[in-house]
Amino acid sequence: MESDQLKSNLAPIVKVENFHLHYYTRRGVYKALNGVNLEIRKGEVLGIAGESGCGKSTLGRAIMGLIPRNAAVVDGRILINGRDYLKPLKDYYKNTKKFKPSKNADVLKKVNNEMSKIRGQEISMVFQEPMTTLNPLLQVGYQIAEVLLYHSPGLLASRRLSRSRAKKEDTKALVKILNENGPNEKFREYLKEKNIMGLEDQILAIWRRKDLHDLKKEQMIEKLCCEPINSFAKNYLETIEKENKLPNFSKIPIFGRIVKRELIKEGYKKASEFLGLLGIPNSDKMVYMYPHELSGGQRQRIVIATAMINSPQLVILDEPTSALDVTIQAQILELIKELKESINSSYMFISHDLSVLAEVSDRIAIMYAGQVVEVGNKDAIFDQPKHPYTQMLMEAIPTIEAHELKGIKGEVPDMRNPPKGCMFRDRCPYAMPICAEKRPDLIKVGEDHYVSCFLYEGGKS
Amino acid sequence: MLLFIPTLLGLTVIVFVLIHIGGTNKLLAMYLSPRLTGAARQQIIAELDQKFHFNDPIYIQYFYWLAQIFQGNWGITNTPIFSGPVTQAIELFFPNTLMLTIFAAILIWLISIPLGVHTAVNRDKPSDNVIRVGSLTFYAMPWYLIGIILIIIFAVWLKILPINGTVNPSLVADLSWYHNGISYPTHILLIDALIHGNLVVAGNAFLHLIMPSVTLALGVMAALVRLMRGTMLETLDQDFVNFARAKGVPEKVVINLHAKNNALLPVITNFGYLVAGLLGGVVVIEDVFSYPGIGMWLTDAMINNDMGGIMGGTLLFGIILVVTSLALDLIYAKIDPRIRY
Repeated sequence: MESDQLKSNLAPIVKVENFHLHYYTRRGVYKALNGVNLEIRKGEVLGIAGESGCGKSTLGRAIMGLIPRNAAVVDGRILINGRDYLKPLKDYYKNTKKFKPSKNADVLKKVNNEMSKIRGQEISMVFQEPMTTLNPLLQVGYQIAEVLLYHSPGLLASRRLSRSRAKKEDTKALVKILNENGPNEKFREYLKEKNIMGLEDQILAIWRRKDLHDLKKEQMIEKLCCEPINSFAKNYLETIEKENKLPNFSKIPIFGRIVKRELIKEGYKKASEFLGLLGIPNSDKMVYMYPHELSGGQRQRIVIATAMINSPQLVILDEPTSALDVTIQAQILELIKELKESINSSYMFISHDLSVLAEVSDRIAIMYAGQVVEVGNKDAIFDQPKHPYTQMLMEAIPTIEAHELKGIKGEVPDMRNPPKGCMFRDRCPYAMPICAEKRPDLIKVGEDHYVSCFLYEGGKS
Repeated sequence: MLLFIPTLLGLTVIVFVLIHIGGTNKLLAMYLSPRLTGAARQQIIAELDQKFHFNDPIYIQYFYWLAQIFQGNWGITNTPIFSGPVTQAIELFFPNTLMLTIFAAILIWLISIPLGVHTAVNRDKPSDNVIRVGSLTFYAMPWYLIGIILIIIFAVWLKILPINGTVNPSLVADLSWYHNGISYPTHILLIDALIHGNLVVAGNAFLHLIMPSVTLALGVMAALVRLMRGTMLETLDQDFVNFARAKGVPEKVVINLHAKNNALLPVITNFGYLVAGLLGGVVVIEDVFSYPGIGMWLTDAMINNDMGGIMGGTLLFGIILVVTSLALDLIYAKIDPRIRY
C-alpha cells in the first residue's frame, strides 16, 4: 500500500491534459482525439488498449510530435517533463480563421526542430511494422549509430579518445580491479584519474557478456588500449568530447563527412556492444547488414535497440508485436521486460491485445473514440472493470476454454460527427438520459482507478 | 543483366529486316556510292556479293551481314555535309552530340532533383505551385520553340550568348588541330581546346554549349521534377522516415539522407531513359542552333533518302539505349543493397 502511494506520488514524465486533435481531410474534419487525460509516471509500463481507430496510435505519435500536416491541435496540452512542445500548433489553430495544412506544416517544422532535441534522448518510439521501420538503404549499425551521433557525440568521441589515451598497463590494472571486486567505485576512480572514462561502457559491455570465457574477456579488455590516432582527428574529437555536440564545421558538406565518419565508426562499435547486451548473437556482424537481410523479429529487436540505446526516459511502443508471429512475439515481450529491469525507463505500450498488456503493464488505460474511458492498475482493470465498455471488452477476450464470445454490438460513432454526449451511448446497455446530454468526466472509483461514466457519478461525493 | 546481349542481337535482326523490306537494292544502296557507274559499279557489286552472299537464303545472309557490322563495315553515307563510311561519320559527329547531351543531363540532374525535393517538402506553398506550373509550361512547349525564345532573349536582345555553331570561327581560323569544323583528337571542341591548353577557345566553346543544353534541359525537366516530387511525397510518409524523426535526427538529414535517397531509386531509372531519349531529341536542337552533331548529319540523311545514314543511326541509337539500360542496372545494384546480380 505504501509503495503504491509512493509510486503515484512520483512526478509524471508525460502528462496529457484534455488533449484534442482533429484531422482535416477532404471528406470533413475527423475528430481523432477528444479530450484525452493521461499521465505516464517514472519507471512504469502504461498499457493503452482499445479497438482500431480509437486514437491509440494517434496519441502515441502526438506525444512524439510526429503528427501529419493536416492534424490540428485544437485544445489541451501534452507536457513532457513539464514542457508543452505542441503549444505553437494550438496557438496557430486558435488564431486562424481557416485551418490550412500548408500553414500548419510551417508551424510543425518549428515544433519538429525543437522536439528533435529530445526525441531519441528523452522520449523515443518503436513502430508497429518492423518491415518498414528501417531504412532499406542503410546498414542497421548506421541507423543505430545515428541516434548517438546527434545526441551524444561526446560519448563517441570520448570512447575513441580513451582507447588511444589508455596504456597497456592501464587496461591490465583495470582487469585486475574487475577481477578483485567487480565494477565498483575504485574502478570508476581509476578511469577518472587516467582520464579514460570513455572506456567504462566498453569494458563493462565485454565484462557482462555471458557467451565468452573469462580469459577471452580479459584478453579483449586488455586490447582496448594504445590505438593510434592522427593529430587532426584527435583535435576535433577533443572539442566534441568537451562540448558534447557536433561542431559547426561538421555542417560543411565533404569536410563534415570526414568528421562524422570517425564518430559513426565508433557508433557501430557501441551499437554492436548494445545489441550484444540485448542477447543478440553475432551482433558484431549484424551491424554491417542491411535490413532486408534480417527477419522480422531481428528487425524489431534492432528497432527496439535503436529506441533504447540512449536510455530515454520514455519509450512509446506502438503495437511492437502485432506484426510478428506468436513465438517471436513472446521473445520480444521477454526482451522488453528485461530492458525494463536493466534500463530505468517508462514505457507506453500500445496494443489492441489485452492478453499482451496483461503480460507487461503496470497500469492500463482503455481508450474509446478518442478518449480515455478508464484507467487504473492492471489488476483493478482486469478484476473489477467499471466502465461498461471495459466490461464488454473483457468478455470478448478469447480463451482456451470454450466460452461464448460476446462481441460488442454496434459500431464506433462516425468521428466526423461525434454524438454530443457520451460516445459509447449507442452501444451501452446501461445508457441513461443524461448520457445524451453531456460527456462524463474521469472520476475516481478506487485506489488510483478512474472511469468516465455517469453510472459512478453518485460515488463522487 | 546479361540480357543485354540477346537484346542487342534482336536489335540487329530488326535493323536487318528493315533493310531487306526494300529488297537487296536497299542493302546495295548502303554500300554503293550512287556516283559509280559502268564497270566499276559492277566490280564493286561483285565484291559485295562475296561479302554478303546475295544468293543465299535470307537467314544466312543475316549472319554475313552481322559479321560485316561487327567488323565495323556499316556502309557508306552520301550527304551534302559528309560523304564516306558511316562509322567515320559517327566518329566525327557523335562526340559533339554526346558532349551536348552529357552537359544537358548534368544540368537536368542538378536542377530538377533539388527542385523536386523542394516542391515536395514545401508542398502547396507558392514556390511549389510556381515551379510546377513553370516546368510544365516548358514541358508543353516544343523544343524548337524554347530554343528560338532563348535565342531571341539571350542572343538578339541581351547579346550575351552566341546564336549558333560550336565556336566563333575567327578564333579557330589558324589552329593546327582544327580543320573544316572538326577538331582533333577527340572531335569535341571544348575538350580538345583544354587538351591543347587554349583557354580562350575552350571558354568560347563552353558559351556555345550553354543555350542548346539549357533548351534540352528545360524541355524535359518537368518530367523529372514531377516524378521526384511524387516519389518524395510518398517516401516522406513512410515509416522509416518517421522513425528517423523519432530518433531525433535533424529534419535536414531526414530529408536529404533518409527520404531523398529512397525517393531517388525510381527517378534514376527514368533519368537514364530520359538521357538516352535526349540523344535522339537533339536532332531538332542541333538544327535550331546549327550545332554540328549527329542530328545534323541524320536530318540530312533523311532528307536525301540516304540508306547508310538512316540505318547507321537506327543501329547506333538502339545500341545506346541498350547500353544505357545496362549502365542503369549496374548503378542500381550499387545504390540499392537489396539488388544483387
